Amino acid sequence: MVSAITVKDAAKRYGQGDAVVTALAGITAEFEAGKFTAIMGPSGSGKSTLLHCLAGLDTLDEGGIFLGDIALSELSDKELTLVRREKVGFIFQAFNLIPTLNAKENILLPLSIAGVSADEAWYQEVVDAVGLGDRLTHRPSELSGGQQQRVAAARALVSRPEIVFADEPSGNLDSKSSEELLEFMRTAVDKFGQTIVMVTHDASAASHADRVIFLDDGKIAAEILDPTTDSILDKMKQLGD
Amino acid sequence: MLKVAWSSVLANKIRLLLTSFSIVIGVAFVAGSFVFTDTITTRFDRLFADISAGVDVYVQPVAPEFGNDFGQVELSMPQDVLNDVLAVDGVNVAEAGVGGFAQLVDSEGDVVGGFGPPTLGFSWSQDPDMTPLRIAPENGRPPQTAGEVAIDVATARTQGYEIGDTVSLLFTGPVEHFTLVGLANFGDEDNVAGATLAIFEFEEAQRLFGLEGRISQISVSAEPGVLAEDLAARIGSVLSEDVEAITAAQSTADQTAEIQEGLGFLTIGLLVFAVIAVFVGSFVIYNTFRIIVAQRTRELALLRAIGATGGQVTRMVVLEAFIVALVSSVIGIFAGIGLSLFLAFALSAAGLGFPDGPMTVLPRTVIVGLLVGVVVTLVASVVPARSASRISPVAAMQADLSATPRKTLRKRTIVGLGVSGAGFALVAVGLFGDFGNNLQCLGLGAVVAFVGISILAPIAARPFATFVGWPIRKIFNLFGDHVSAELAVQNTRRQPRRTASTASALMIGVTLIVFVAIFAASIKVSVGNTVAEIFPADISVSSSNFTIGVSPDYTENLRALPEIGQVTTLNSTQIRIQELGIETDVAAIEPDTAGGMVFSGASDEDLAELGRTNGLLIREDFEGAGGQERAEEQLGKTFTIELPNGTVETGRVVGVFTDGSFGDYIITRDRFVTGIEPVTDAFVLANAAEGVSVEAAKLAAEDAALVYPNAQVQTKTELVADAEAQIDGLLIIFTALLGLAIIIAILGITNTLALSIIERTREIGLLRAVGMSRRQLRRMIRWESVIVAVFGAFLGMLTGIALGWAVVQALKDEGLGDFALPVGQLVTLIGVAAIAGVFAAIYPAYKASRLNILDAISYQ
Repeated sequence: MVSAITVKDAAKRYGQGDAVVTALAGITAEFEAGKFTAIMGPSGSGKSTLLHCLAGLDTLDEGGIFLGDIALSELSDKELTLVRREKVGFIFQAFNLIPTLNAKENILLPLSIAGVSADEAWYQEVVDAVGLGDRLTHRPSELSGGQQQRVAAARALVSRPEIVFADEPSGNLDSKSSEELLEFMRTAVDKFGQTIVMVTHDASAASHADRVIFLDDGKIAAEILDPTTDSILDKMKQLGD
Repeated sequence: MLKVAWSSVLANKIRLLLTSFSIVIGVAFVAGSFVFTDTITTRFDRLFADISAGVDVYVQPVAPEFGNDFGQVELSMPQDVLNDVLAVDGVNVAEAGVGGFAQLVDSEGDVVGGFGPPTLGFSWSQDPDMTPLRIAPENGRPPQTAGEVAIDVATARTQGYEIGDTVSLLFTGPVEHFTLVGLANFGDEDNVAGATLAIFEFEEAQRLFGLEGRISQISVSAEPGVLAEDLAARIGSVLSEDVEAITAAQSTADQTAEIQEGLGFLTIGLLVFAVIAVFVGSFVIYNTFRIIVAQRTRELALLRAIGATGGQVTRMVVLEAFIVALVSSVIGIFAGIGLSLFLAFALSAAGLGFPDGPMTVLPRTVIVGLLVGVVVTLVASVVPARSASRISPVAAMQADLSATPRKTLRKRTIVGLGVSGAGFALVAVGLFGDFGNNLQCLGLGAVVAFVGISILAPIAARPFATFVGWPIRKIFNLFGDHVSAELAVQNTRRQPRRTASTASALMIGVTLIVFVAIFAASIKVSVGNTVAEIFPADISVSSSNFTIGVSPDYTENLRALPEIGQVTTLNSTQIRIQELGIETDVAAIEPDTAGGMVFSGASDEDLAELGRTNGLLIREDFEGAGGQERAEEQLGKTFTIELPNGTVETGRVVGVFTDGSFGDYIITRDRFVTGIEPVTDAFVLANAAEGVSVEAAKLAAEDAALVYPNAQVQTKTELVADAEAQIDGLLIIFTALLGLAIIIAILGITNTLALSIIERTREIGLLRAVGMSRRQLRRMIRWESVIVAVFGAFLGMLTGIALGWAVVQALKDEGLGDFALPVGQLVTLIGVAAIAGVFAAIYPAYKASRLNILDAISYQ
């Protein structure tokens, strides 16, 4: 197994004194390259914190994160920016697009920021896969929620990142749009060999993944491979007891 | 509601701080101008009261009812008046004094001072009760005979004089030399308001000031129990018509009023800038409150949802504005006191001394300052507050607030065109109309036009951003950072109203600067021409001080020089023509020598006739009692002419002239000097002798001026350059003051940007998350700021050019030159605006680049 990103003994606390909250209490995990991993857990389980740390948006108190052979904790803000720009893609729950740019410009944004020109063939492939068709010249305000998230997903892929992080990407979508988005993400993994790590609390969303990791109280509580909605719900029930 | 408003003020500290800055500046100017004027008044009041401490009544010649200040001679009365006064019942002591112009001349032969504080000469008073001047035993003794002088301690110190030294002084004739016998204090002070004092023995003073047998003033003290008012009335009854007796209190009040009048231009100037600062500030305030309301839509909607009425929401926003206004007005008043302190200091440093003393802050100053700050802020916040009340409760539930429907531009275009059209119409009426309040009409028109243009500006904002954005994008493409520029351009386009109102604040300052620059450029051309036309002579000689002119003795010497050809003099004064019932400016010339030397537009025959008959010349389009009248109809009429010193003579109108530089009439110098003693001339004009270069003639004229150190010799070229330099100097002062309006506007840009960044927190977080570096982010915000600034400058430039053009057209008849466009200055101004934009962005860009990405993307 080739690991895209590895986390070792990760610990993180918020607050001080009596108000201290442990978000991560020693997590060690590997995320396989070319696979779709979902992270689940109840609110406060530390799943978002883990994702933010993996993505270099937040820092650990203890432990380390290795993106390939890069130790994220040793990077300056400038170097982290470059890592995000070149090696990482993002899909957030909401507000994923710049309102002043049209869909195409939003998709190409990471490349524009880096000042490199797009690989036309790859761009076309991604756009075809995401199925936006003639909506590419539209501004975000003229797109539906599902379309907006698919633009965000295309943006995450277009710079060929080593890994894409998604934070509740379908959280604001209806079930049909949600299904379309997750299908696209699945396609990205299967067809393009993209590595994706997604945080979600929705079992049916997680069922699109190759592997689901369950967090509870900042620790890994369980993990299942090749999940189905039912197996996930069972596991959740089991953990809840 | 007060609690909600107050907590909102606290929550929005930084943005409200920036807003309040614009209020502070406006209020500071208002308060500063009041404090400055009041302080000067009280201090001079005290000074004059000190001077007349032991005196109850002054007897002095009656001041002329008309006449201009320049060249006004020291008024005097016959010495026998003293005997009449002494004979009056109730007079304790009466002492006659003479005074006049006396200027120190240093060892280099140059005059000392003379540009600001007066250079005064007095006779020494025998009675110590009648004068504040004291000579301490260690400081020598009072002057007792001719050839002796005492000077004030401060001047002696700065000039390095010691008792026994020879001191040179300039009066109206050649320099004279004296032995320094005493150093005088003014009460306990070394000096009076920066004036230089020279004190002589009484008869010597009469001779020096050309007042043999005459006196300037009588100081009278009353016997115990006699009221000053009664004594003044009693003395008045024995005096002739041209001499008056006034109480010391009255004299103090008169002199203070005179000082106040002299400084009136400063007060008006400060108030004008206060108005400009307040006006620009109101744009910034309006903008800030609008953005704050927009940002708090959800919060305000929530208040509405839980039962607040629209009125309550409005009141809350207005209350918030009130709190900010109150706090900043108080700060503004203190800043105003600081401003007036600085002003007093600067004027002292420039050589205009003011008496020492405390600052005077009247209740009126505080009240007006608070009113201005509060009223302006409330007015500027009313529109945003009203729109706050229209937020529907449903807005609290809506997820996306950024996609507000765009309003139709047609209504805006119509209203904007209407308002700015009305503004320009008012400007035109002010310029070309003929009624009393043209200037006010012009000012009001400009204000209305500004508002109109700012209503129209949002329409232009988008195309302009695209237009300016084009080269910026091209440049950034070269550096491979296309996206920062693209986003900067898009950001200025996304809220055209906000971009426009931010830019409008800058527009006002730029308009005024452009207007002043155009006006100065146009006037410079015409002043150069006019000066050269009025003084066609090779050389002109004028006085370096504003009190006395050039000595006629000097003119005599000049005439005798072989290097010098024709010589003539030119004076200007006022006369009253009794038949027409008007007081008017006149030029006084020497008809025999004026031909070709002084531009008057009079034929040689008319000049000769003027000299022969000692009559009058009248200007072609002179201003008669009932407006324009025909000059020809006045020919041959005999007028009764009254001069400022009271002399009444008759003169016949013998000719017509064309040039109006010095007034509607020309009289002879002979008539001008009647009753004036001693005589000096405002201008002496000379040509180089045949075959002598102008430079050589100038050197000769300067040599002759060695013993007349106030005589300033200039060639025609120097005279023109001098006039132009004065305009440049004024231009710099105006630009510097208007720069303040620019600074307020720049702070407005900073404020708007900082607020936009709070609004765009999540967007910035997203940009950072997908790999935008801090540097790129700062660059984006910087260019956003530059585009807004350049937009404002561009609007201002167009308006300024339009306004400048109109004013130049309107004043063409007044001798203003052609419309001149100072292209270099205008280009510089755009550049300065762009740089100012960079500065305005420093703080917001820093704030944005320091945003924590995680906080930013989870920001609600």
